[in-house]
Amino acid sequence: MAFYADKDYTQDQEVLNAMQEVMQGHLTLHWYDANTERIKGKPADYRRGLTYRDLDVGSYGYTDLPEDLRRHQSMVARGSEKWGKLPDMGYLVNRKSEVWSDNVADLYEEDKSRRWAPAVDVPWTGADAPSPEVEAACAQLYTFLQECALVSLDFPSRWVSLVNQEFLEVKSFMCAQMLDWARLLEAFRKRALMGGQGLKRASATAEQGLKEWLWAETYPQGSLSINLSLAGFLLAVFRQVAAFAPRKADRVLMGFAMQDAGRQVAYGLGALRYLLSHRPAQKVAIEEYLDQTEHVMVALFGSPELLEPMIVICGGGLESAQIGTGRIATAKFIRLVVREYMERLEAAGLSGRSTRSRIPAVVDRIATS
Amino acid sequence: MIKFPSTDYFEALKTRMAAEQERFRRLGFIDATFAVKVSDNGRSRNFVLEFEVFELKNVREVDSVDLKQVDFAIEGDARVWREMIENIKRHGEADTNHDINTLTHFGEQLKVIYDGPDGHDKLYRFMESIQEFFDLSSGVDVSFN
Amino acid sequence: MSYLSTTNFLDDKSFADKWLYTMRTGELDLSWMNARTEKINPSPQNARRGLTYRDLDLGTYGFSDVPEKVRENRSYAPRGAEIPPGLPDAQPEVSRKSELWAFNTEGYYEEAVTRQWNATTDIPWERLEGAELPEAIGKALSQLMTFLTEVEMIATDTPAKWLPRLNPEFIEVRAFIASQAMDEARHAEVFRKRALTTGWGLMKASPMNEMALKHLRDADSFSEMSVALHLVAEGNVLTMFRFSEYLSPTDVDKKIFRLVMQDEARHVGYGMQHFKWVLENFPEKREILHKHLDEAENISFAAGAATELTESFIVLAGGGLKPENIEKGIRITTQFQLKQMEEHFERLDKCGMPERKGERSKLWMMYQMGKAAAEQAGLKI
Repeated sequence: MAFYADKDYTQDQEVLNAMQEVMQGHLTLHWYDANTERIKGKPADYRRGLTYRDLDVGSYGYTDLPEDLRRHQSMVARGSEKWGKLPDMGYLVNRKSEVWSDNVADLYEEDKSRRWAPAVDVPWTGADAPSPEVEAACAQLYTFLQECALVSLDFPSRWVSLVNQEFLEVKSFMCAQMLDWARLLEAFRKRALMGGQGLKRASATAEQGLKEWLWAETYPQGSLSINLSLAGFLLAVFRQVAAFAPRKADRVLMGFAMQDAGRQVAYGLGALRYLLSHRPAQKVAIEEYLDQTEHVMVALFGSPELLEPMIVICGGGLESAQIGTGRIATAKFIRLVVREYMERLEAAGLSGRSTRSRIPAVVDRIATS
Repeated sequence: MIKFPSTDYFEALKTRMAAEQERFRRLGFIDATFAVKVSDNGRSRNFVLEFEVFELKNVREVDSVDLKQVDFAIEGDARVWREMIENIKRHGEADTNHDINTLTHFGEQLKVIYDGPDGHDKLYRFMESIQEFFDLSSGVDVSFN
Repeated sequence: MSYLSTTNFLDDKSFADKWLYTMRTGELDLSWMNARTEKINPSPQNARRGLTYRDLDLGTYGFSDVPEKVRENRSYAPRGAEIPPGLPDAQPEVSRKSELWAFNTEGYYEEAVTRQWNATTDIPWERLEGAELPEAIGKALSQLMTFLTEVEMIATDTPAKWLPRLNPEFIEVRAFIASQAMDEARHAEVFRKRALTTGWGLMKASPMNEMALKHLRDADSFSEMSVALHLVAEGNVLTMFRFSEYLSPTDVDKKIFRLVMQDEARHVGYGMQHFKWVLENFPEKREILHKHLDEAENISFAAGAATELTESFIVLAGGGLKPENIEKGIRITTQFQLKQMEEHFERLDKCGMPERKGERSKLWMMYQMGKAAAEQAGLKI
């Protein structure tokens, strides 16, 4: 599977002669009058700096990228002059509609500007320790969230090298996502361990579902599952935990986490919208995909490794009244997730999903229970 | 003393935000326009706040909020807003029970309304900046009605 | 070609019923509370540094005690968690520590997270307003930036391709790779932005270097990839960044190169430490590493022969296209290229492979010849 150079360059007389010519002062200067567009980009708003949007100009820009990329299989920078023998990098995602979102360049810039560092931005030491039962619940919840983070980290990693290099802004955003999830994995792990309870149990049911989403056959399907469904679910989890935060560390950590998840959802929604608006025939396939895979949402809600610690955290303990409070808050959380999930699908162009999906009926049973 | 709700109140926060540019720069870009709706005895006062890059660019009071013109609106009874601001004043920042996320989470104290999820999700994308913006109230002497 | 979970949870009546029962009655199982896991009490060793991965290097949670072969966990369960039955197989292809470990991986990651800079706002782009470089310098700078933006993303694509194949037990390595991916995206970004602010736009692609990128991308083991990318390629690029900073025609360019070299040094650091780890702990792999280096050095030499890169350095170093400029540029560029090779072999020596400075390496032989020729021409190396 390895790629070997077409020759041993250290022994190739033609190459050595060419190098010698240059080093003796006979420059070729073949690059000097490159056949490329001349621009002098500058920031539209100096407070914001020089953004990718400022450089969305002519052959360098992304707005005018065609739908199908048929002659770009190398890593040549978009807008530069191609020449010579360029290798095929094996990209498998070559259609703009499969990856693009109109907000992706802006989201990349936003991501960079809103970076944080868990080691120093979260108050890890503090005298606000909750009861041992609540701390144990936190340890369990953050164990579960690490599993979600590992899967969320894997998704852009799996695909980035398969996405055509012309989609630079998308690939850049995917890199930003990788760091976001590495950072969240780090933060969740630190939080799980700081309370002295150790990690708890991994979730077989959640992981089975997450693996199904992660290993989607195509990028658009995977993005729908990971960037919209999972990220939307996690955004709500982060908001819930922040609202019932047992420690200041939870509140601060979840404040940053919801920013990261919010961006991811914005991309996921935008990407689905772009796909469906440019290739409406895909709606059938996407609906079918959701019919097949939406059950994972149930796996996440119903996994005891999420459900029970959330009840304990929201209720504040294990006393009967506390469990009652926790149940109500968790039921509200579940309904909120489903409502917002359907809103996003609708906004993306999947009108009528809430009547087609089997999820609302399941969730309604909770409301009446 | 600055009255809440009023454009003066938000202008005061705007001034304080500009004075703490480094803190808001560190938090990152905030590009969102949202409305704050304060209801009292059936009447509502509405303010549109336009944030751009690292600052509050513009504040204006409007008769009604067109949800298509804003990313989202946060609406609630004056009593809840007052409790939040007083909490911020007491502690220097909102505590867990009085921050924007908690108050809006189930829509039972403050409610987030929006035309579409793109706008709605901006509340979460910029949550830290929005919260620290309201936390600037700690340095403002506020009176109510 | 997708994975299907072991059950469709919407059709799994017992799962749904249990969930609804819990919600209805509040009767919690709570068996997770007594998970068979270790309890530890980590605390920041240095309050200014905050809570780091190194502070969590305790017991079953730590990285120090991860065994050479990870036999027990192939799922997405975080290291140290209780592993219940039924977890899926994440299909990791790398479950041996020696394939990817490096001393201080966790340190490199923490450093990366706190040292993230922003190509959009941390570069004083406004200082370029009205600044005009002479044509030759501007074009040479644009060509250099075109080359750099072209090659940077390989250092995202290549390690990212491996990340999901690594056993999830190796949390710190995965985290470091994620940080590298972001570093390289930022480098591709800053070089592209600089090229597009010169007034000349991007220039010509570099086919010889594209071949190098393909070699990196298609490495057939993580170790081979790391040797070729972190140690050889990024080592060369680090020297190149230092040289480019020296040649920079504006203070904006100097700032760019200072910032990128910080990131690059971390990546090279990881590469060196990984190489060292393998040599120290698995001496039987020495010959395999030699073979990786044989091809990596061939590719590296080819990349260095790319005229669009060499000539742009000559023009920048010499300050123009006049014969005296070219002569000066060649002298300085020769010194740089020899320095680049010298530093490459120094790195290998420091990692425990001094014999690479010998007939085993064709690149070493080229270096010796080049050095002799340069000294004969009166150049100080």
